[in-house]
Amino acid sequence: MNTFALAPLILVFPAIGILFNGLFGRRFVEANRKSGERWSGWVATIMVFASFLVSLSLFGSEIANGYHTEIIPLFTWINIPSADFYVPWAMQIDTLSVTMMLVVTGVGTLIHVYAIGYMHGDPNYNRFFAEFNLFIFFMLILVSGNNYLVTFVGWEGVGLCSYLLISFWWDRVDEEGKAMNADAGRKAFIVNRVGDFAVIIAMTMLFWTFGTLNYEPIFAQAVEFFVEGKIVTIGSASFSIDAIVTIVTILFLLGVAGKSAQIPLYVWLPDAMAGPTPVSALIHAATMVTAGVFLIVRSNVLYELARISDVQLFGTISSPELVAYTGAFTALLAALIAFTQWDIKKVLAYSTISQLGFMVAAAGMGAYVAAMFHLVAHAFFKALLFMGSGSVIHGMEHGHHEVTHGHDGHGDFDPQDMRTMGGLRHRMKVTFAVYMVGALALAGIVPFAGFWSKDEILAHSQQHVQAIFILLVIAAFGTAFYVGRQLQLTFFGKPRSGAAEHAHESPWIMTAPLIVLAILTTIGGLMNMPFLTRTISESYEGHPEGIWLALEAWLEHSIASFEYAAEGLVNLPKTPVVISPFVAGLSTLLAIIALALGFMVYRRKPETAEDPDPLQNTPIWWFSILPLETLYMKTIVPWFHSFANWLAFPVEWNFWHDFVHDNLIRDMFVSFAGFLAFVFDAEGVDGVVNGAGKVTRKLSQAFGFMQTGYVRTYALSVFLGAVALIIYFLFIAR
Amino acid sequence: MPSTVTIEWYLALCVILFTLGAMGVLLRRNAIIIFMSVELMLNSANLLFVAFSRYLSDLNGQVLVFFVITVAAAEVAVGLALIVVIFRTKRSINIDEINLLKG
Repeated sequence: MNTFALAPLILVFPAIGILFNGLFGRRFVEANRKSGERWSGWVATIMVFASFLVSLSLFGSEIANGYHTEIIPLFTWINIPSADFYVPWAMQIDTLSVTMMLVVTGVGTLIHVYAIGYMHGDPNYNRFFAEFNLFIFFMLILVSGNNYLVTFVGWEGVGLCSYLLISFWWDRVDEEGKAMNADAGRKAFIVNRVGDFAVIIAMTMLFWTFGTLNYEPIFAQAVEFFVEGKIVTIGSASFSIDAIVTIVTILFLLGVAGKSAQIPLYVWLPDAMAGPTPVSALIHAATMVTAGVFLIVRSNVLYELARISDVQLFGTISSPELVAYTGAFTALLAALIAFTQWDIKKVLAYSTISQLGFMVAAAGMGAYVAAMFHLVAHAFFKALLFMGSGSVIHGMEHGHHEVTHGHDGHGDFDPQDMRTMGGLRHRMKVTFAVYMVGALALAGIVPFAGFWSKDEILAHSQQHVQAIFILLVIAAFGTAFYVGRQLQLTFFGKPRSGAAEHAHESPWIMTAPLIVLAILTTIGGLMNMPFLTRTISESYEGHPEGIWLALEAWLEHSIASFEYAAEGLVNLPKTPVVISPFVAGLSTLLAIIALALGFMVYRRKPETAEDPDPLQNTPIWWFSILPLETLYMKTIVPWFHSFANWLAFPVEWNFWHDFVHDNLIRDMFVSFAGFLAFVFDAEGVDGVVNGAGKVTRKLSQAFGFMQTGYVRTYALSVFLGAVALIIYFLFIAR
Repeated sequence: MPSTVTIEWYLALCVILFTLGAMGVLLRRNAIIIFMSVELMLNSANLLFVAFSRYLSDLNGQVLVFFVITVAAAEVAVGLALIVVIFRTKRSINIDEINLLKG
């Protein structure tokens, strides 16, 4: 008995939520604020929870089904027989997609509950939940598709929802009158698009090479072609299968850089913090940004083939190695930037970029299970941290409101600025407790989930690519440092503003999901426990069994590279199954040192909100100028603006409007109409009609002489007529 | 007894009478005189009908004369009534003065 037939329901439930909130939500909320918000929020939440329950049932069915992949076709989407282009809309239920579904719907449900409280009082309450459900809808399409095109629909859809939700408060302007939320949303969408462009080209190449976009046929054919060393002809160019695989995986990397915020396309993520905190938690921590990692793990066969292909980039590294280095450098850079940020959410944003770097690096090095493990653990603790920060922000806003008795109207006060916080562990005890759990997980402290997942990645890198190991260790050190810095500035020490003194705890509806996530973060490490000693490992012959390496046992059925590696067709780097005391010890030691350093450096200073950061005079502070951002703003953006201006004014306005429309078309038309009106109609047609009249009058005048009124002439003409007739009949008509 | 007055004589007489009547219609100004001329033309035609009826021994000609006389009489009645009415208005029966259709 399996529930695979229920799979389409995971898409139906969010759709119902969207329709409800989109069509009726506003009526409910405006009629009665309190109950309306409850309806709007809880309907949305229950829909996501329903999808979660279906995902759980699919999880059970997968276990019962022997972990096999199940394809559930829904309908034929595109069918062009002449081009042999057939794309069905089908769902692929395998262990990988079920994992993602559980994370998306599970964490999604918790964040929905949180948002019910967080968005309280917002005039566009129902629009928020409609867009939130829309996001879940698209994310589930992304993870459940059985071919690249369906996944791409989800890929673009979540990009759209990200744009909608980041610019949720689109009418807010800052002091200079710039609409910063709308700008941030636009930036996210456009930067994403650069990545999407690369993915489209990659999909086109895949279709031309393999004739299909479905995952299973592509991967099977790819291995076949690789073994026979096939040459593929696209148009007039021929490529070896090595080159195809390398090019496609690099293009995917660009897409991943856009979606999962890696170098060089991460610049949208910090700006995306302009959106409401639940959005940051769900989209920019737990789900959308992990779509890139998901794509790499899905395409693991292509990356493994690229690893052993003949094509080398820069003469030395293969495409997946490029992926790994990109991830590692991103991890390091983002961690260093996080040192310089004041805004509590921006620190978390750069932290997300950094952790995504870890995931991408792991995937690039072939540690797909480790990447997915870190994805799930990160979803737990990063969502927790973001929602915790939202709770802090809410607390600060309430405190500020209390202090100024509502007279300030925001003005200069930024509730997200950590310089005005301090000592909040006494004021917001529950938030503090759960935030500590998340922070320690992020720093990689035993026994939280973050330690186990990060450690697996570090162990893998230590065994296979030492250079990346070093980069990631430094990044991990940096992570712990900025975590310590954030904790010290926010929760410890003395409050540095009235708002912090008067902050109070958030309501239950916001703290309850945090507690659930804190529990998940604490026990999450059990998902993929490595063998704690060599002896235990040997008793299991190093194979996943029972509690050990559970995630690996679960996922290896969906990651075909494992099979191909067993057959000797690819060279999959194996993640160590036994915990390495060196790596674990080193990372824990460094994490503790970094945390302590973070606490110590920020213990005394800053004392007040205006004090400078102790690190401001060090080279670290150079990272605050955000090098990549500045580069783009100085080069690409002005170029784009001048190009857009050129298109708008000389081309569109002067040429198209003024010249072509006004002069050419309008004037031609007017002169032709003038010709028709004055020449053709007035003179021609009227001339004919009037002329007929004139001729008739002249004729009648000409014949007027006959109308003498003189009877005798009439008599004469009768007489003459009679005479004429007589002559005719007598002589002529003989 | 065979007459020395042949049919040509009657024909000539009728032609002359008819011509005189036509002249009268065309040239005289008095409306009553014109009517008299019209009568003259009709009667000349009657005379010719009778002459030929006798000459061809066909009585149809004489029957037709009856028709003509009747019509002439009716026509005169109507015409004279018209003249009386015109006289009442114009106090003259000079046909040259009846020229309202001039244009």
